[in-house]
Amino acid sequence: MDSQKGNWGKILFLVVIAAFLLIFPALFTLPFPQHIMIMIFLYATLAQSWNIIGGYAGQISLGHAVYFGAGAYTSTLLLMKWGVSPWLGMLAGAGLAVGLSQIIGYPCFRLAGHYFAIATIAIGEITQIGMVNWKGGGGAVGLYLPILEESFANFEFHTTKVPYYYIALGITAITFFVTYLIERSWLGFYFRAIKGDLDAARSLGINIPKYKSIALAISAFFTAVCGTFYAQYVLFIDPESVLPLMLSILICLVAILGGVATVWGPFLGALVLVPLSEFTRTYLGGGGKAIDLMIYGALIVLIARFQAEGFMGWIKKLR
Amino acid sequence: MFTSEIILQTLLSGVLMGCVYALVAVGLCLIWGLMEIVNFAHGQFMMLAMFLAFWMYTLFGVDPLLSLPMGAVLLFLLGIATYFFIIKGILYTTFLAQIFATFGLGVFLHSMAQFLWTGNYRLVQNPLLAGRISAGGIFIGFPQLVAAIMSAIGFALLYWFINKTEIGLALQAASEDREAASLMGINSNRIFALGWGIGSACVGVAGVLLANFFYVFPEVGFTFALIAYVAVALGGFGSIPGSFIAGILIGLVEAFGGLLIDPAFKYLSVYVLYLAVVFIRPQGLWGRY
Amino acid sequence: MAILQVKNLTKRFGGLVACDNVSIDLEEGEIVGLIGPNGAGKTTLFNCVAGFYPFDSGQVIFEGQDITLLPADRICHLGIARTFQVVKTFKDMTVLENLMVGGFVRSLSTRKVYREALEILDFTGLAEKKNMRGSALTMADKKRLEMARSLMTQPRLLMLDEAMAGLNQKETQEALEVIRRLHEKKITLLLVEHVMEVIMPISHRVVVLDYGKKIAEDVPEKIIDNEEVIKAYLGEKYHAARRKN
Repeated sequence: MDSQKGNWGKILFLVVIAAFLLIFPALFTLPFPQHIMIMIFLYATLAQSWNIIGGYAGQISLGHAVYFGAGAYTSTLLLMKWGVSPWLGMLAGAGLAVGLSQIIGYPCFRLAGHYFAIATIAIGEITQIGMVNWKGGGGAVGLYLPILEESFANFEFHTTKVPYYYIALGITAITFFVTYLIERSWLGFYFRAIKGDLDAARSLGINIPKYKSIALAISAFFTAVCGTFYAQYVLFIDPESVLPLMLSILICLVAILGGVATVWGPFLGALVLVPLSEFTRTYLGGGGKAIDLMIYGALIVLIARFQAEGFMGWIKKLR
Repeated sequence: MFTSEIILQTLLSGVLMGCVYALVAVGLCLIWGLMEIVNFAHGQFMMLAMFLAFWMYTLFGVDPLLSLPMGAVLLFLLGIATYFFIIKGILYTTFLAQIFATFGLGVFLHSMAQFLWTGNYRLVQNPLLAGRISAGGIFIGFPQLVAAIMSAIGFALLYWFINKTEIGLALQAASEDREAASLMGINSNRIFALGWGIGSACVGVAGVLLANFFYVFPEVGFTFALIAYVAVALGGFGSIPGSFIAGILIGLVEAFGGLLIDPAFKYLSVYVLYLAVVFIRPQGLWGRY
Repeated sequence: MAILQVKNLTKRFGGLVACDNVSIDLEEGEIVGLIGPNGAGKTTLFNCVAGFYPFDSGQVIFEGQDITLLPADRICHLGIARTFQVVKTFKDMTVLENLMVGGFVRSLSTRKVYREALEILDFTGLAEKKNMRGSALTMADKKRLEMARSLMTQPRLLMLDEAMAGLNQKETQEALEVIRRLHEKKITLLLVEHVMEVIMPISHRVVVLDYGKKIAEDVPEKIIDNEEVIKAYLGEKYHAARRKN
C-alpha cells in the first residue's frame, strides 16, 4: 500500500517538474536564464551519458571529450564541406562516436582500473593534439559554422534562444528516459554486476567485454549528440573548447557530485555546478575563473571524502 | 641530416630530463605501491615546490640550490598533511572516490596558484647553477646535468632506504599485506603517512631542481603529472626501479619525438608509447598486477 | 551417461603442478564430495572446469559436449554454476537484485526474472532479507545468497566451493537442508568441503585430492579408512603409528 502511495507521489513530482521545465521560457523570457538552463541540460546529459559507462558499469573514462568532439566536428565538417543538414550530421557524428568507442574499448577494456583511466586520458590528449595539428579540420584556430537562416531545419536560431532550449530539453529527456529504461532492464543489472565483481559476473553468464562495449557505445552516442548541439548553439568549435581534458573531468565531476549510478544524480549535479560556475565567473571578475575552479576542486575533495554517493546519497538518507 | 652530434645531443638531453621525470615518477610509485592510491595532485605538489624555489629567490635572494632542503622538508610535511586530512578517510572507499579525492586536490592547488600568482611564466634569472658544458660539439646544460645527477642520487637513496633499512622494509611489508604488517607491530597510519611524506619530498626535490632551468607557471604541474602517471603505469605500478627506468625512457621518447616528428608532437609520442606498452603488456613493463 | 567427465586434467602455475592428471566422472543427480588438505588443488579444479583458468592438458566434457576451451560465461549458459570460496556478493545491490543478475542468463524479461527471484528467495530462506544490501548480510547469509544467485541460472550441475566454511551448527543444518532440496530437484552437486561432518552424510561418493593428484575415490564409509587419505591428512607418522597399533 505504501509503495503505491510512493509511486503516485513520485509521478506527481515528475509531472510538476516536467510542467515547470516546459513553461520555463515563458516564465523567464530573458536570454540569460534560458542560457543557464540550456547549459544545465547540456551538462546533465553529458554527465548522464558518462554515468552509463562510468557510474553503472564502473569503468572510469577520463577521456569522454573525445566523443563530444567527434559529434561536434563531424556534423560541423559535414555541414561546411558538403552542406549536410546538422540533424543528419548529428546522427553521423553519433555513429562515428560509437565506432570510435568500440575501437577504443577493445584494447582498453582489458586494462585494470588505473591503467584504464590513464589510457583514456592518453587517448583524449592524443585526439586533442591531433585535431590541433589537422589543418583540414580547422587546426588550433577552429571552425566557424556558417551563419544560416534561422530555422529548425538549419538548426540555427539567432534572435531567440527558446528553440535551443526546447531541443536541449528534448535531448535531455530522451537521454534520461533511456537511462531509466536501462536501469530497470537486464542491461542495468549486468552493468552493475560488472562494476560489483567481475568473477561473479562471469560465473553468472555475463560476457564482460561485450557488455562493457555496449555501455560505452550508448554513452558515446549521447555524448556525441551533445557535441553537435553545442556546435550549433555556439556556432564555433575548436580543440580547446570541445576536446580538453578539463571537459572530460567536468563531465565526471557533475555525475559524481549528483550521484553515480542513479537516474537523477546527473541532473542534480548540473543543477548545482552550472549556476555556481556562472556565478563565480560573473561576480568574481577576472580572478573569477580561478576561483570557480578552486571551488570545484574543493567540492570534489569533499564529495569524495564525505559523500561518495553524491547528492542522491543525501536524498536517500532523508527518506 | 641527423648528424651523430645531433643524435647524441638529443639522447643526452632526453636522458637528463628523463632523470627528473624519473624522480617525480618514483615518488608517485612509492605512494601507489603503498596503498594503491594514485596521487593525482602529484604534479601540483611539484609545481608548488617550483614556486617555492622561485619566490625564495625573487623575494629573499636565496638560490634554488639552497632551497633544496627546504623544498624537501616542506613537501614532506605537505604529503603527511594530505594523508591525514584527506587520504586517511578515503582508504576504504570506492576507486572513483580515491581518484577524485586527489584529483580534486590537484585542481584546487592548480587554481589556487593561478589565483595567487597568475598564469604568467616565471624564470629564476641567475641561479648558481647556470651555463653549459661542452664536450666534443655537444652542449650539456649545467643545471640539467646537476638535476639529473641529483635525481639519480635521490633514487639511489630511496632504493637503499626501501630495501636496506628497517623502516623501508616496514613500508614494503605494509604495502604487501596491511593486516599482517599490523600484526607485526607496524602502525599502518604512520607508515602510510611516511610514504606520502617521502613520495612528496621526492617531487619537492625534483621541483626545486627544475626551477634552476625550467619555466615556473601553474600549468607545469599538469604536464609533469601526466608524464609521471604514464611513467609509473609504463614501468608497472608497484615497481620503483621500473618507474625510474620508465621515466628515463619517456625523457628519451619525448626528446626524439620532438626531433624526428615535430616539437608539437613531443608529448604525443609519450602518450602513444604508453598505449603501445599497455595494450601489449597490460601490467606495464615490470608491473606486479 | 556421465553428466560431467573430467579427463586427465593438468594445470600448472609456472613450476607448480596444481592439478596433476585428474580424472573424475559425475553421474546425473549425484552428490559428490571433493576433499583434500589445503593446497590440494580443489579450487583450481573448480576454476578449470568452470572456465576461469585455461589448463595445460586434458578435457572437460559436460552433457556430451567438449567445454574445454569455452569461457566461463558460456559454460554458465550451458548449465554449470559455481560459487566462490571467498564470497563475491554484489555489495551495492540488494539481495533481490543480486539474484536477478543470475536470472537474466535464461530470460531477458525483468518481470519474469523478478518472479523467479522471489521463488528462489523462498526456496533458500532469504525472503525476509530481500531488500537488504549485499554488504549488510552476515557471512552465512552471504554464502546462502551466493548459492541462491547461482541457482537463478538454472544449472544442471552446481559446484559449491566451501559453502559450509565458517558456519555454526544451526547455519550448517540450514545449508544442508537447501542442498537436500537441490538434490530433490535432480541437480548434480560437486561439493568442496573441509567440514567432514557435512560431506560424509550427504555425499554418494567422495573424491580425495592431494598435491594435485587424485589419491582416492569411493563411498564415504570406505574413504575414512583409506590409508592414502589418512596419510595425506595426518601425515606419515600418524599412519605408521596407527598401523603399529
